[in-house]
Amino acid sequence: MRIFILVFVALFIFCCALFLGPQIITPGPLSTIEREILFSIRLPRVLVAMLMGMALGASGAVLQGILRNPLADPYILGISSGASLTAALGIIGGMSFLGSFTVPVLAFVGALVTGGIVGMMGWKRGGLWPERLLLAGVGLSFLFSALLMLMMSISTDEGLRRAMLWIFGDLSMSEWSRIPWGLAFVVIGIVLSATRARALNALILGDEFAHSLGFSPQRERFILFVSVGLLTAASVSLGGMIGFIGLLIPHIMRFFMGSDSRMLIPASALGGGSLLCIADLVSRSVLPPMELPAGVVTAIIGAPYFLYLLRKKDVLGI
Amino acid sequence: MTRFIIYFFLLLCIGSESSAAENISPPQRIISLAPNTTEILFALGLGDRIVGVTTFCDYPQEAKAKPKIGGMSNPSLEAVVSLKPDLVVATTDGNPKEFVERLNSLNIKTFVFTARRLRELPHGIRELGAVVGAHQEAVKLAAGIEKAIEMHGRGVRGQGAGDKGQGSGTSKKVLFIVWPEPLIVAGPGTAMDDAIALLGYENIAHGAATAYPKYSIEEVLRRAPDVLFIGKATGMDMREVSQGFLKRLSLVPAVRNNKICYVSDNLYRLAPRVVRGIEELAECLK
Repeated sequence: MRIFILVFVALFIFCCALFLGPQIITPGPLSTIEREILFSIRLPRVLVAMLMGMALGASGAVLQGILRNPLADPYILGISSGASLTAALGIIGGMSFLGSFTVPVLAFVGALVTGGIVGMMGWKRGGLWPERLLLAGVGLSFLFSALLMLMMSISTDEGLRRAMLWIFGDLSMSEWSRIPWGLAFVVIGIVLSATRARALNALILGDEFAHSLGFSPQRERFILFVSVGLLTAASVSLGGMIGFIGLLIPHIMRFFMGSDSRMLIPASALGGGSLLCIADLVSRSVLPPMELPAGVVTAIIGAPYFLYLLRKKDVLGI
Repeated sequence: MTRFIIYFFLLLCIGSESSAAENISPPQRIISLAPNTTEILFALGLGDRIVGVTTFCDYPQEAKAKPKIGGMSNPSLEAVVSLKPDLVVATTDGNPKEFVERLNSLNIKTFVFTARRLRELPHGIRELGAVVGAHQEAVKLAAGIEKAIEMHGRGVRGQGAGDKGQGSGTSKKVLFIVWPEPLIVAGPGTAMDDAIALLGYENIAHGAATAYPKYSIEEVLRRAPDVLFIGKATGMDMREVSQGFLKRLSLVPAVRNNKICYVSDNLYRLAPRVVRGIEELAECLK
């Protein structure tokens, strides 16, 4: 029942984000310019915000489960740092071999390669181990962030600001051409993790427990890890790094939906998508015609709400 | 013995001469902390006396060969001091104030270039010229820029007479794009904005909150500029880079009528090159 309310809320927010803004578009007869703005600029943008938010929320929920750590988020595995590094290389180096697809593709490849390295580092005795994954991710993330900062501090190009804007999350470049790819990876990732939700529930309770319930802990963890990697890579390449959602949306959803992953994964996806849509709406409405980084707005809206819930409710954990 | 006395006097003479000269002689070892002051110093014919520049100083070609003292916002104090400058030229637009204060506390002479707008440039050049002992060159350079500004401004007034004033409703709307994706444009306070106003056109980003705002694409569609300028970035083919972006703006009059001008980076720095930058814009707007 609650999940239907969430679907309804998400749809409502989607429509708000589509029609509201510094200039409100009233449904009905539209001028040519308004139709162009609605269909070529707003709609792909809001769709990308929804997809990114869904990917981050769902992957956060899965990752906190497989790492058994409430502080885990999709960025802790270093995947986003790897993506940022390759994307910044492309931006500062002025690469454009694939046209406007260059930076997203570079980011996607960077994310997948980093995910692969983290997986290899976390692999021991025929499986992935949560602590190893976590530490490998943190280590790699530090290394890549340092390389990124090094590159930025020696870069003399005006590409610097562009790289910063990209890394802070930018939805203004959202085009229709990116959406099929983003949609495909996000759907695969969410479906893959949702079908493994029961196994995730068991894994949270411990490997022995999962084993006794008939799940192969290592196999399930690997599948879930792959789905997290796909989701994170897709979201980073769609619009850069958006903080907060992956870490705190799953916790907010646990307050409302409980800890059952079968509900938590879709709920976190819907919550994440909704929050990013609102944040993007705010980011383009506060100081028009200037746009603020959506990632900053996400945290400014989301964090106080999370803290309020933390005071008010009495549950916390995975 | 007489020889020693002669030497002694000779030495005295040289000594007194050089100390007398120090008071009036212009600085011989100049460090420039910003690309635009580097360009001005070179334009004043002082290239030989520049001993240090920032890593951003890439114009004229000779500037690239000068020793580097770091970036604009993070110049290295050690690098500056070790070059033993007798004048450091800083700007209010990009250099940290603390850095200049630090240099002063180390008894290094500084000059702060305060011009930020197009119309302030000639005065800034004259001030700088007086400090570096290139007074005449500076007056000439400044006069040239003033003349160009005057000329382009006058041309507009002549045109505007027929249009009944310069109301924003009647003037053509333009937008100067610094980078298409994400869209970064020239806003208020930039030389581009000043040049557009000078030529009698309306910069649609004039009301933005910052000098180089990240601008909303929707707003470009709504404000429908008649002309788009696309600035140059080092090592990039802007025609290729902006292709996808222009496709999304197909309804904008500038794109529909193919009034898109790819211009150089002459207006990016408040330096003598702005004159050529203004000419480029004027040429395109004809």
